Amino acid sequence: MSIAQNPLSVEVALPREGIALLTVEGHLDIDTATGLQHHLANQFQHGRRHFLLDLSAVPFMDSSGMNIIIRAYQQTRESSGSVHIIGPPPAVRRILDLTGVSITVPVSDTVDEALALVDRPRGEPEI
Amino acid sequence: MSRTEQCPDPAEGRSPDESAEEPADETADESGDEPGNESADESPDDSAALLTTYPVGRLAATVERLRREVRAAQAEADGRALIELAKGILVERLGCGPAQAARQLAELTEQAGVSTLELAVEVINQAARDRLSEVADAFLTAAKSTDAPTGDTSSRGHSPAVRMREAESGALAAPDTQAVADSLLQHALTPLGAVAVAIWTVRSDGSLTLAGSAGFSPAEAGRWHHVPPGVVTVARTSLSERAGQWIGSLAETGLPSIGQHQYPDGGRAAIPAGTGGRIHGALEIVWPSRLEPQPPQVVRQVEALAELCARTLETYAFVHGDEALREPRVVPDATELVDLADGLHDPALVLVPYLDGGQLVDFHIHHVNSRFLDPAGRPRGLVNGAMLLEAYPMAAGESDLFQRIERVYATGEPFRAQRMNLTALVDQVPLSAVAEISISRHANSVLLIWRIEDETARLASILQHAQRLGRIGGFEENLLTGEITWNTQLFTLYGRPPTSAPVPLEELPVHAHPDDAVTIGRFLRTLLHHRRPASASFRLRRPDEVTRHIRVVAEPVLDADGRLFVVRGAYQDISAQHWTEVALAATRVQLAHTEQQATERSRLTLQLQHAIMPPTQDPLRAPGIDVAVRYRPAETEHLVGGDWYDAVVLPSGLVLLCVGDVAGHGMEAATSMVVLRNALRGLAVTGAGPGQLLTWLNSVAHHLTGTVTATAVCGLYDPQNRTLRWARAGHLPPVLVRDTGATSLPLVKGLLLGAAPQATYEEDEVQLAVDDTLLMYTDGLIERRDRSMEESMTQLLTMVRAAPSTLDQQLDRLLTYSRSDTDDDTCIIGIRVS
Repeated sequence: MSIAQNPLSVEVALPREGIALLTVEGHLDIDTATGLQHHLANQFQHGRRHFLLDLSAVPFMDSSGMNIIIRAYQQTRESSGSVHIIGPPPAVRRILDLTGVSITVPVSDTVDEALALVDRPRGEPEI
Repeated sequence: MSRTEQCPDPAEGRSPDESAEEPADETADESGDEPGNESADESPDDSAALLTTYPVGRLAATVERLRREVRAAQAEADGRALIELAKGILVERLGCGPAQAARQLAELTEQAGVSTLELAVEVINQAARDRLSEVADAFLTAAKSTDAPTGDTSSRGHSPAVRMREAESGALAAPDTQAVADSLLQHALTPLGAVAVAIWTVRSDGSLTLAGSAGFSPAEAGRWHHVPPGVVTVARTSLSERAGQWIGSLAETGLPSIGQHQYPDGGRAAIPAGTGGRIHGALEIVWPSRLEPQPPQVVRQVEALAELCARTLETYAFVHGDEALREPRVVPDATELVDLADGLHDPALVLVPYLDGGQLVDFHIHHVNSRFLDPAGRPRGLVNGAMLLEAYPMAAGESDLFQRIERVYATGEPFRAQRMNLTALVDQVPLSAVAEISISRHANSVLLIWRIEDETARLASILQHAQRLGRIGGFEENLLTGEITWNTQLFTLYGRPPTSAPVPLEELPVHAHPDDAVTIGRFLRTLLHHRRPASASFRLRRPDEVTRHIRVVAEPVLDADGRLFVVRGAYQDISAQHWTEVALAATRVQLAHTEQQATERSRLTLQLQHAIMPPTQDPLRAPGIDVAVRYRPAETEHLVGGDWYDAVVLPSGLVLLCVGDVAGHGMEAATSMVVLRNALRGLAVTGAGPGQLLTWLNSVAHHLTGTVTATAVCGLYDPQNRTLRWARAGHLPPVLVRDTGATSLPLVKGLLLGAAPQATYEEDEVQLAVDDTLLMYTDGLIERRDRSMEESMTQLLTMVRAAPSTLDQQLDRLLTYSRSDTDDDTCIIGIRVS
């Protein structure tokens, strides 16, 4: 799914029931975004509703990557789930802020932090 | 593999197929016979028996081995055989025993001072020249002068040998066959009690001619001088049976023959007269009374006389008037036959009889013509010069080919067969082919012609079927005589009965669709005027109202003077092909149409975008500010994007400034862009602030456009106090250029449009000064794959710092020097406070 120059690796772990932790490594752009999308769709198919995206090893993300996150957000929203972003590097963080995605999708520094957020009963998204 | 070429073997009760396959399938051989046992029992002497007793397949396998043995034995025995032959000649000539002959030979050798073998050869050579008496005399003279004489054998006594020699010398001295008959009767037959003799010669037409007779009345001889073919007489029986007929009493057989009234109950003997396997006629001998079975010596003597007759028949022309003229007895050279064979269009072999001891044993393949085609596929060189039975051992098998040739050679009756199995052995595998066979005798040679039926028949039939399947009709038109030849397929093609007159090429336009007249005219001009091969396709209108698409191909045939005299060619019905081409053309049109549609769709999108946002726009008349916009569409048309800008003075006097970017490309993005742009214009009339406008616009994007997401920055400029209130939805913030500095306005909070059903947008306000420039743009201006948004932004800010004099120039410069590497559409809106 990824081209040779910029391979994207996605590792999936299940820290808890219904929670999928996807550790992404590599450039998340128009060439590689579909790979991540497939993983997300697969986990959603298996009934997981909370997705923790560890982007700490993603040096670059473009609008394609952003769209994947937005789509996941829209999907989990309808089924009372959530999407969390963990440890984005500055460039990625900048994109998240620019597009305002960081407003609706919580950004945490660590996995534990994100897991704690999942536990917290959520009301309306903080804006 | 046909059964017919195999010789059945009743003695062993085995099928020929089994024996042929024996080496490959030993388990099938339940009789326990090993093939090797049988071949071991065979000796070269048994070869005659072998021919008839064993299956031909096995015989063929041993031929090669036998030939090798024979060759080796010959080399060894030649010398000895020659000496033995010379001894035999002396025995006969001197009338002495073998021991004496041997002594005689040794003494002659000593006297002549040559080797025994040389002398023997000399003796044989002279003998072979038929100068037996002189040779004998010469030797006798020599012998008498050196050794104890054995007596004057040349004139002595009445022993059968002497009688024979006397008859022989008489015959040799005789001027014609009549004299031969007289000599035979006088010297050889009277002592045997015979009273008359007739010498028949057989002609190529199968009739018999009385070549000579003795002891009959001239009238009787005259009556019988010609016996038409098919009339069975005593002589004829001997010829057809190819065996001597010994008849006790003529009356008992009921056969007619010469002298039947004079000696009705007398005995008869009719012996085929042949030399070297060829029968020239028959010798018929008449006894006055009943003939008892004769002792073998007499039979052999009479047979020898018959052979003597044959030699004379072969040598002398017959004195029978016009018949003699009609069939000159000049022996044509074999080269004439070779020439004839080379002129034939079928494979032909010139066979010359091969004699061994006066016996016909085989034929020498003297010549094969250029059309020669071996049933086994061997090259000509391998067959040419070989012995017939060596090259075609299977000819001796059931196909009877060899026997047929033998018979034709013997009798001169030509043989023809429509379908005959020709079999050849290829690596022990018999290959058979059905052939038309013709065998005829010409002088001393036999011409064997075969036409391997399958191939010619198959070729003709293939051609026929190909023409039928290809719907091809051939024609030839003689322009001088007006004669036109069509094959049947062409009549079918034209829809005319085969009995109707063919259509000349010149009249082709009459039978074609009027629209094809020009095409046909050009075709005829090329063919008949320029005399070059030509082809044309036209619609043929048949008498049955059917229109067929026909392709005609023709070529001119010029005579020696370069004048056109024949045109030949073919018509092909290409209707099916034609309609395929039509269908293909239609598909092409369809495809082109689809392509055109796609192009039009792109163009339409572009037009739509241009209609909404002209790439260049008249300067917006707004109080207190200059407004300039630039829109650069994507380079490739299908990449038409969803970028938009808007700059409009609202009823409140505020100026709405907006730049947006719908995610994705194409028609869908463009239409969504139109929806959002117009929605914003409408919403802006309400007087709401930019944050509120974007909240509503988010709802529009989320609910009205479906799954589309978009980014936008929206500002309201108040010319009164030169302030700009703005908000952004996931979009790049505006850039403020003041003096020589350029800064990006703060990244106020605002989610991109359409991502969430509800969203709120933070507002910001900036106080502008005169000559301040504010830029709003889409990311097509800065997006680069290889660097972060931050770096790109820095690059942009550096570029806009060196602000040129006018706003338009500044925007142009931005577009020109944009470091963007994506082929995306790009939008810039700039205001300068005046």
